[in-house]
Amino acid sequence: MWKKEDVKTQVVPERAAGFSTGSPTASSSPAREASAGLPVSSKASACVTQGIRIKGEVTGSEDLFLDGPFEGKVNLSNGSLTVGPNGEVKADIFAREVIVRGRVDGKIVGREKIQLWSTGNVAGDLQTERLMIEDGAVLRGRVEIETGRPIDKRDEARGVAAGSSKGGATSVSSGSAAN
Amino acid sequence: MGFLNKLGIGLGAGAGSSREVPRTMSGPGRPRNNSPAPGAMGATRAPELRESNRVSNGLKEFLWNLEGLGRGALLDLGPAWQTTLSFFIERGFRVSSEDLLRAWKEFLVEEEGKLREAAGRAAQHALDVSPLARAARFLEANLQYPNSSFDAILLWDLLDYLEPVVAKQMVANLTELLRPGGVVFAMFHSKKPEGFQRYRVVDSTSLQVISSPVLCPAQRVYQNREIQDLFGRYRTMKSFVGRDQLRESLFIK
Repeated sequence: MWKKEDVKTQVVPERAAGFSTGSPTASSSPAREASAGLPVSSKASACVTQGIRIKGEVTGSEDLFLDGPFEGKVNLSNGSLTVGPNGEVKADIFAREVIVRGRVDGKIVGREKIQLWSTGNVAGDLQTERLMIEDGAVLRGRVEIETGRPIDKRDEARGVAAGSSKGGATSVSSGSAAN
Repeated sequence: MGFLNKLGIGLGAGAGSSREVPRTMSGPGRPRNNSPAPGAMGATRAPELRESNRVSNGLKEFLWNLEGLGRGALLDLGPAWQTTLSFFIERGFRVSSEDLLRAWKEFLVEEEGKLREAAGRAAQHALDVSPLARAARFLEANLQYPNSSFDAILLWDLLDYLEPVVAKQMVANLTELLRPGGVVFAMFHSKKPEGFQRYRVVDSTSLQVISSPVLCPAQRVYQNREIQDLFGRYRTMKSFVGRDQLRESLFIK
């Protein structure tokens, strides 16, 4: 069982800070360049980057940024999950808000909102109140809109995630990580 | 380079093709103002794609056939466009999306890789590259839904771009997925298309035609008789021929 502190100190020391300012560094790959100005909450306090591989279950209520391979399950009851352009997630995801810029193989439940960005590729069903799909995103699955407010056209123009959460802790449990 | 070249798809046009370049959110309903989408959009921007609207009697008829269905289930085999999904979800449909042409291209690239691997192995492990075997492999990995799952299918002009064997088998599979009385909306080019286009729903009578970088070259121009044969198990077929060499067809099971 990892605590939030473990993730911050052992997994992503310097990049977490870079990410929170919206300017990731240290790579010239297109995907890395594309992650400049990532649509993620400025309060995202946990971040798993490309070099980390995780198998297991993530639970918590804070925001999380996943930009590497992940296999298992993500449950952020009140948090926002961002799958970065390098993210390869094989998991069912439950969160308040989910932003996909990489690959997700699994069901996504974004209680308030799901955003698929142009580099996003989802194979799995989507369940949410509001859905935003950018041109170029790939979706293979069923879309279930839970309320009378189907696809959010206003946010299309805004192009940023609003996700922020208060308190809580993000923990990574029963997993293994290797860099 | 094997069948990829035969189909006009070189590996060079694989995963790194211009189709993959991220594009900005430029839905048709969205005003294009000068305010840049916040840094969220990333560093790379694709060139603007040419878009035009066309009146679609086929779509009109398709919707007419679906009237009163309530919460019907729709399978969209084109790209996941926000406007198209929005259009149908707002009308109460449960929408499933699967960009089959993209899947086909990815499948071909994958097959090419497998072929190269198999070339170094013993003959008994060689991959069966006959069109029939390839069609079977492709369809095993795609369109996996229970029978009679859908009331309507948006096929777009997909069949023009698939190998005829795959197209034939796919139509057979789609027929199984469709409920009795269900409707398929398909489009066929009357002559080999010069460019590559994708389509999205603008409103109940028009489609937006988006000129895109070629994902797959057209494989075949279907004649009326061939279309009728493909959809032989459907009880009704209705076609609308447009001035843009595009024929819209509805098939009711």
